[in-house]
Parts: sequence; C-alpha cells; structure tokens
Amino acid sequence: MSDDAGEKKGLTRRGFLKSAGGVAAVAGMAAGGIAVGAREGATRPAAVPKKWDQAYDVVIIGSGFAGLAAAIEAKSAGASVVVIEKMPVHGGNSIINGGDFCAPVTRLQKAAGVQDSPDLMYKDMMKAGLYLNNPELARILADNAGGALEWCEDYVGAKFTRLNFHGGHSVKRANQTANASGSELVNKMLAKAKGLGVEVLTRTKMERMITNKDGRVVGIEVKTGYRYPDEKTGKTANIKAGKAVVLTSGGFSNDIALRQIQDPRLTDKFGTTNQPGATGEALLAACMAGAMDVQMDWIQLGPWTSPDEKGFGHVPLFCERLVGYGPMIDPATGKRFFKETGNRKERADAIILLGHPVIIMGDSYSVPKQVFPGALEKGLQNGAVKKFDSLEAMAKNYNIPLETFQKEIARWNSFVEKKKDDDFDCMIFPDAKPTVAPPFYAARLWPKVHHTMGGLVIDRNAQVFGFSLKPVKGLYAAGEVTGGIHGAVRLGGVAMADCIVFGRIAGRNAAKETAWG
Amino acid sequence: MTRKNKTTRFSPGWLLAAALALAVFFVCIGTPYAGPKQVVSAKGGDCKACHGQEKVFSPSHPDTKAMAYKDCLGCHAKGGPQMLQGKLPGSHLHQLRGVTCEKCHGKVAKPEAVDVNQCLKCHNADKLAERTAKVKPENPHTSPHYGTSLDCTLCHRQHAKSENYCNQCHQFNFVVP
Repeated sequence: MSDDAGEKKGLTRRGFLKSAGGVAAVAGMAAGGIAVGAREGATRPAAVPKKWDQAYDVVIIGSGFAGLAAAIEAKSAGASVVVIEKMPVHGGNSIINGGDFCAPVTRLQKAAGVQDSPDLMYKDMMKAGLYLNNPELARILADNAGGALEWCEDYVGAKFTRLNFHGGHSVKRANQTANASGSELVNKMLAKAKGLGVEVLTRTKMERMITNKDGRVVGIEVKTGYRYPDEKTGKTANIKAGKAVVLTSGGFSNDIALRQIQDPRLTDKFGTTNQPGATGEALLAACMAGAMDVQMDWIQLGPWTSPDEKGFGHVPLFCERLVGYGPMIDPATGKRFFKETGNRKERADAIILLGHPVIIMGDSYSVPKQVFPGALEKGLQNGAVKKFDSLEAMAKNYNIPLETFQKEIARWNSFVEKKKDDDFDCMIFPDAKPTVAPPFYAARLWPKVHHTMGGLVIDRNAQVFGFSLKPVKGLYAAGEVTGGIHGAVRLGGVAMADCIVFGRIAGRNAAKETAWG
Repeated sequence: MTRKNKTTRFSPGWLLAAALALAVFFVCIGTPYAGPKQVVSAKGGDCKACHGQEKVFSPSHPDTKAMAYKDCLGCHAKGGPQMLQGKLPGSHLHQLRGVTCEKCHGKVAKPEAVDVNQCLKCHNADKLAERTAKVKPENPHTSPHYGTSLDCTLCHRQHAKSENYCNQCHQFNFVVP
C-alpha cells in the first residue's frame, strides 16, 4: 500500500481548527471557560504517617486489564497484593471494551492463513504513531503481545474465538474474545487474582501518594467507602506499600477539564466512549509525587461512534467489521471522502473536517457475514443502525443526492471487483463482494473521545520516570495511564496488548523491589 | 450609647449579611425540613415520625399511620399506574413490609451502609435475573459486563431516589423500583 501522507496534509491538528466543528468547539470554550469536573485537583504527596491502617507489599490502583495483570504477577511472585478501585464496580474501561486483542502470529491468524510478525506489528504501530512512539516500549509490546495473549488463554482461561481487522493494521490481527467484550478477560482475571489471594477493594479512591524523605513512594492515602462522584464521602486511610505502588488507573477521556487543557478542541460538545470514572486525578497525583508526563495532548477520537446512541454503543462493532467490505459516504455529496481502512486519527479528523456525521454501509452479504449478530440486532433495536430495501430508500432517509450516490456505489463496486481502490487506496479484503444485495444496512458516524495516548513516562521495566530524569523509586505504571508507547495514534486492539504486556512487567518488577522498611 | 449607633447596628447591609450567612448555613447542613429523621422505631405508615410536618402527601390522601403494605395495594397495585415502586425510596417499601431498619443494619446506635451480602440474604440474584429475562431492551439484572455480581443499591437506592446505573453509558428505559 502506498503511503497516504499527501492526504494527511490539511488534516493536522491545527488544520482541524479551521473546520466548522472546530470553530464551534473553540467558541464554546471561550464562552464557557474551562469546565471543572466533580473532582478537585491533585494534592501534594503526604509525609509518612506514624501509623498505617493497612499494609501490603504491592498496592495497585485500578482494576482493569493492567491492574489485574499486575496483581496476578505480583501475587504469583510471592508478594501480598491489594487492588483498589474508586468506582463501585470493577473493571474500569476494560470491562466495557470490545474485546479485541492485537497480537502477531496467533492461533487464529494461523487458522485464517494470515502472515504476520512482531516486526510488522511494530512497523504498523510506529507508522500510525507518526514515529513519536517510544521505540523501545513499542518494540517490547510487539514482541510480547503473542505471549501475553497465550497467557490470557492458557493461564487465565479467557476464550478468543474470532479474528478481526482494525484500521491502520497491515493484516487481520485482532483476536476477539468469545463474547466480543473485554469482560470475558477482566472477569476471568479477577477470579484468578482473587483465587490467588489478591484483595480487591471497590469504592476506595487514592487521594495522594505518600513519599518518604528520599522521595521514594511508600504508600498511598485513600478514601474508603467512597461513593463516586460525591467527594464528600469516604473515610481517610493510609495504605502502606512495603515494596511498590503500581498505578493502572487508566486514561482521562472523561476528564473534560484536563483533556481541554491538553487539547482545547475537546470541550463537552464531544461525547466519550469511556466509563464515567475515566478521569485523570490519579495520574496528576503521581505527577505531584515527581512522575513525568509525556504526549498528553495526543487524545484519540474514535471515528466509528454514532451520534444516535450513547457512549461506545453498538455502531463501532458494526462499522469496524465493515471497513474494507463497504463504503463510507458523505451524505451531503453522496460520495466517498476518505480511506475506510485508514487509522483512527485520519478518519476522525476527516469526518470532523466535513463538519457533519457521515454514514458507513453494507449489504446482505457483508453485514451478516462480518457483524457480530448481537451488535447488529441491538444497533437495529436502538435505531443507530438502519435497514433499507433499496439504495433509493437509504438515500431518501439520509438526504443523499441519489444520482451521485448510485454512481459512487457503482464506482466502489468496480474497485471491489478488481480489489484495488483507485480513489483512496482503501484496503479491500479478498472475500469482499460488491455492495449490491438488498437489504442494505447503514449507520451514522460522528467521533467521540476514546483514548488518551499520553500519560506517565515509564521505562522498559514499567517503572515510572520522574522530573528528576531518574526513575521514581517505588512507583510502577501500566496501561492507559502511561504515555509514549503509541505516539500520536493508538491502533485498534493494541490497548489490550499494552495493558497485559506492561501490566505483567509492572507486577513482576513491583514484587521484586527491595522492601523499604 | 446613642440611637444613631443602634440604627447602624441593624442597617440593611447587616441584615443582608445575616440572611446570607443563614442561607449558607442551611445550604451546608441541608434545608431544615428536607432531611427527615431516621427514627428506627417508626412504623412504615407513620410518615410524621420521621418527616414531621413536611407535606409528603396530597391533602386528599388518606391517613396512612395504621396502614401496612397490603393496605397500600388497594390503590397502588404493583405494575399499575399508581404503583409505589420507583416513587418511594426502597427503605420505605422495606419498612412497610416489615423489613425494619435493624433487620438490615442490626441493632446499633449509628447504622452504617451495608454491603450487597445483606441484600442477598433475602434476594437471589440469579433467580431475579431469570424473572426479568424478557424485560426490553435488556435484562436489567444481568449484563455482559458484570453478570449478576453488581450491588443492588447501585440502582435500588434505599435512602434516596433510585437510579438507572446502566444509563451512564446506555439508554435503557427501565422503571427502577
């Protein structure tokens, strides 16, 4: 495939500001000032208390993929471990994710005859990340993703049953859980962790790090019995981390104040796919304790979300299975406007540049073949996915100029026949067929805030790096709270790999730390 | 000392400040009548025991002091347009049916929040999920994310208005008792 750098011109972050959406967003911010969320800002680290309320070797903050991977590894290495979670439920964003785990050279890839390698996955990550990725960390991820997936299957017992494609990858390498949800993995990891003797405390919120006079992290101050989002609830307690604290608190997509400081376009006008607790106070508390942040303003919008349903919804599972099989159309012109298999950033920026929702479509061949039945049924039920007897009916519903639309579909079909897209170089899969067979299906797309690529700087041991340009003693981190691994764009399905690979590394190294006292 | 001083003391500015201070005080502690007392010995139908003079009913509502849950059902049949589920905090329904404060909180001077295991002593999560399997658009008592493991009180608040926890991300029009 050719490089589409030419198309990227004008879709830079600055370029976006010229679009209608960007102008509206900026105007909104100027009028409203910076929104302040329910939480307060981070607090300076506390001094070592005379008495600890609880004590463990390893204290893990957050109960998603990364936290539970760290917990299982730390416990298996002999450490006493507690996982704290501020929400009343476990699993964070991991338990509502789509269950796609990207790894090269897997059982499902072999069965499908897909040629892949860690090198190719690394190259895809670097290219999408605009080469801003920390190459050492990206390499560790690509090299260890296969082993991490096997660990999830063989040791944790999670089932992966389907191979999917995500935009920006060279091949199909997303191994999807049996229920098309991260819950398959999270719940089995949680059961595993509890079985090993890991304590998991929900409604327990970290307030600040506790450091000793040498700046080493020795514990955390928490609120127990915290009732999100009421900051007045909970009792203060100090938890000693005899060996280390592992921060796996996730990203800050739902932190309107923080994300708007990093990227002023992302006002409350943009919805998110994240759970409500995906805010940045734990990340900021780590910074107050000396941890360094990096690339905080690379915030990813998902190009596959629908304005016709809340949150992540069902349309992403509809859209992402159809790219490379069906076209994406701008209803204002009736024409295609961008490479359907492009990466998340390229596609989200292209839609925002148009300034209005677009549609993704398929027919009675591609949709039943590609889309998870539950997702299709539920999307149809809530009205975000629509079914049409003819292209005419679809054009009428979305107010698409019919003649241009019909010509464009014919043109797309000719590309599908020869498996080459002359207009946008969309990847067309070998088993794709022209979009001709009614009924047709379509969904509207408008981006939502999805993932924060930036976060804490970590080294190859998942140890947090500080403003001192040295590792912060006693502090590890993994998953979305860290930054630099994905550079400008995290590719679809790579977050699960990131969380498991670095969560395990963090857990093992935290357990290996020399106890401070 | 002189009249002039006296008038200064009660100037409009002072009155305004006092009123403001009072307002801030009430906002901080809650308005004096909005926070009902939680009288452990109160019978379910005895509104005044906790709510005092606060008007909790329309004037035409019959006196409930001597009523039990089954008496309410004459007008408020479950599933009917006037059903109590979703209108009253869960603790009231519990109380009306004889599940008094101490049956959940124990005989303690200062009752504290109880965890889900207390609910599970009477309510079976799996059976509940079976009973609501056909509710549209989704079964409210199980989910692909958490199965049947969620705390009941995430939705069925006992001392506040119930809420639909799913609707943080979804749009399900459940009636939440």
